[in-house]
Amino acid sequence: MVTVKLFGTLRLDSGVREFTAEAASVKELYPLVLREIRAKKADTAVTERSLRACLVAVNGEQVSPRAKLRDGDLVYLFPAVAGG
Amino acid sequence: MTNYCGYMGKVVLLDLSTGKAENYIWTDLDREKYIGGKAMASKILYDSLTGKETPFSPENLIVIATGPLTGTGAPSSNRFDISSLSPLTGITSSSNCGGNFGHYLKKAGFDALIIRGKCERPTWVEIDNGEFRFHDAASLWGMKAGETQEALQKELLAEHGKPVRCGMAVIGPAGENLVRYASVISGERAAGRAGMGAVFGSKNLKAITSAGDAVPSVFDKDKALEHHKRWVSYIRSHPLTGEQLPRLGTAGLVSSMQVHGLLSTRNYAKGRFEDFEAVSGEALAEELNVSNSGCLSCPIRCTRRVPVEGKTVKGPELETLGLLGGNIENRDLELLCRWNYELDELGMDTISTAGTLAWAMEANEKGLWKNGLSFGEVDGLSQVFDDIAHRRGIGAELAEGSKRLSEKYGGKEFAIHSKGMELAAYEPRRAVGQGLGYAVANRGGCHLNGGYLVVLEGLGMNVNGQTPRGKADLCMIMQDLMEAISMGGQCLFTSYGVVPAFMIRNPNGLLAKTVNAVVPWIGPAVRVLNKAPEIACFQLFLLPYTYELNYTVGMKMNIGKFIRAGERSYNVERAVNARFGVSAENDKLPKRLTDMPQDPKRPDTKVPLEQMNMTYYRARGWEKNGLPSEKKLRRLGIR
Repeated sequence: MVTVKLFGTLRLDSGVREFTAEAASVKELYPLVLREIRAKKADTAVTERSLRACLVAVNGEQVSPRAKLRDGDLVYLFPAVAGG
Repeated sequence: MTNYCGYMGKVVLLDLSTGKAENYIWTDLDREKYIGGKAMASKILYDSLTGKETPFSPENLIVIATGPLTGTGAPSSNRFDISSLSPLTGITSSSNCGGNFGHYLKKAGFDALIIRGKCERPTWVEIDNGEFRFHDAASLWGMKAGETQEALQKELLAEHGKPVRCGMAVIGPAGENLVRYASVISGERAAGRAGMGAVFGSKNLKAITSAGDAVPSVFDKDKALEHHKRWVSYIRSHPLTGEQLPRLGTAGLVSSMQVHGLLSTRNYAKGRFEDFEAVSGEALAEELNVSNSGCLSCPIRCTRRVPVEGKTVKGPELETLGLLGGNIENRDLELLCRWNYELDELGMDTISTAGTLAWAMEANEKGLWKNGLSFGEVDGLSQVFDDIAHRRGIGAELAEGSKRLSEKYGGKEFAIHSKGMELAAYEPRRAVGQGLGYAVANRGGCHLNGGYLVVLEGLGMNVNGQTPRGKADLCMIMQDLMEAISMGGQCLFTSYGVVPAFMIRNPNGLLAKTVNAVVPWIGPAVRVLNKAPEIACFQLFLLPYTYELNYTVGMKMNIGKFIRAGERSYNVERAVNARFGVSAENDKLPKRLTDMPQDPKRPDTKVPLEQMNMTYYRARGWEKNGLPSEKKLRRLGIR
């Protein structure tokens, strides 16, 4: 079981902050994230493609979207941001 | 007068000691070289200051300068600049503001206002269609910024018999009491950094109002309008300027900075704050943000509007969220929004206030200065801020800033400043190019004057933040570009459009990865461009500024000239600082950032400053002492 948190405009668009899922890799996670989002917001504009474009961090460190996951991992998904 | 459009053609020198205003000669050749804004102000300071002036002496100048695009309808062009000798750093400094004062200064008929001397008693100055009137400010002295502006509106109404649409630049109690990081407030926006408010206060200048009927002309209205439409459309379609900034503001960076280890935490001891979500842009949007707003003529609208004490006020920016959040271990977002409002009302820079506070908390913890302040204990801080603004109790000491306090009590290694100015919220040990920028920045620990390389090193793009490779050259070109953008009067946020949308929309794609990998290697190409900018005798859609200067101002501009103007601006500011004793010796960071790895398991997580500094001076064509030579200044047409 991993915990997934969404950030940035992805969170505002989906209305999903956090949920738990069974996934062995980030790749496996994408359809589960989309399902969670659609359950909350059926008419969401978020797609699996837009999820794949997000940056991924596991346990606080940025990782490749191909990274494997372990039980208890904390996964962040967030679109790129700038400007300060 | 001028043959160029966009300008009002007048720069005025106002002597507060005599009450006289006189024309300051500023030619079209000066306009071609320095365009406007900060560059213009730096050249005026270069021509006027000898090196003997001090920030609070009557001989110190305040230069309030606009750009030629301000008031013309160009996108995001409402910025104005205040430059002076800074009470915080003792050297020249500038503070850029999105308030309406610049717009109305042009309506009054001036491109820039130079102020020298000192009023005998508290005074506010009214500028009305080119005329100057001095008013007694005794009844305003002691008032906060918002209250002052309301009172000024009433005084103008009483004087003119009708409401007066005007721009204002005012100080709060912090400026009156010479807090070294006091700000100038225009509307709800602050010229926050470097203590420009204290310079106002030292001259007994409580406020300036400006009003008038003049309108800047536009060189080619049809082309300018067409270009504005195209540019606004691009800004609105870009993921950063059209989505992230309007919806989350700069606050949206907190979460990303956390992941990249860039979020200043516990006085920069760490780059990650375990409770970052409590003070993030997402929390601000979901829990408090009632709307967003923007500066005049800006399509980005990045300002947060939040409820404080039953009112809707300007919300905190990223720097304030970081520095009054994790950096002092505060988890209370509502409290943070209230502090942000209170500090603006007191007229105090949130960055330097928070940086000084974090230093004081650590000094207390280490037993260097028993002041009663502790990380995470935040209940009484509103009173501390008020004490700083009025120089009461420990507030009188905190009003001096972290550099002076660390010289008095010890703890220089964790006084997080450069040249006396506290750093912004980006922890540079995971973005070493940003660390270089902080160190070499002319005004001190400023992320923007430092070139804002963090936008390449994790925020926006994903260039390796630990490698020093290419960072000196990139720092230089980014500084020069930002100088040039600022000269026209435009907001630097428009420059995020320079990062192609595909890089943002698909940061995991092969193309984005390739660009990120290649960027550190482009240093030599950047240096060639810097040596011979005339090779860039073209314009680029991703840098629309040159089109804007061509169509609106009628100034023949291309990328090469634009970069050269930015370089000239950076060098003239450095040349002023040289008169006040600045050299390579001052381009430093505290040991915490250069000698102590952020991650003890990774020795590379510190800023290799010495190595990058020398490369930077070579890239700039400066001497080993970190200063431009006479030859260099002549080559740039400064001398």
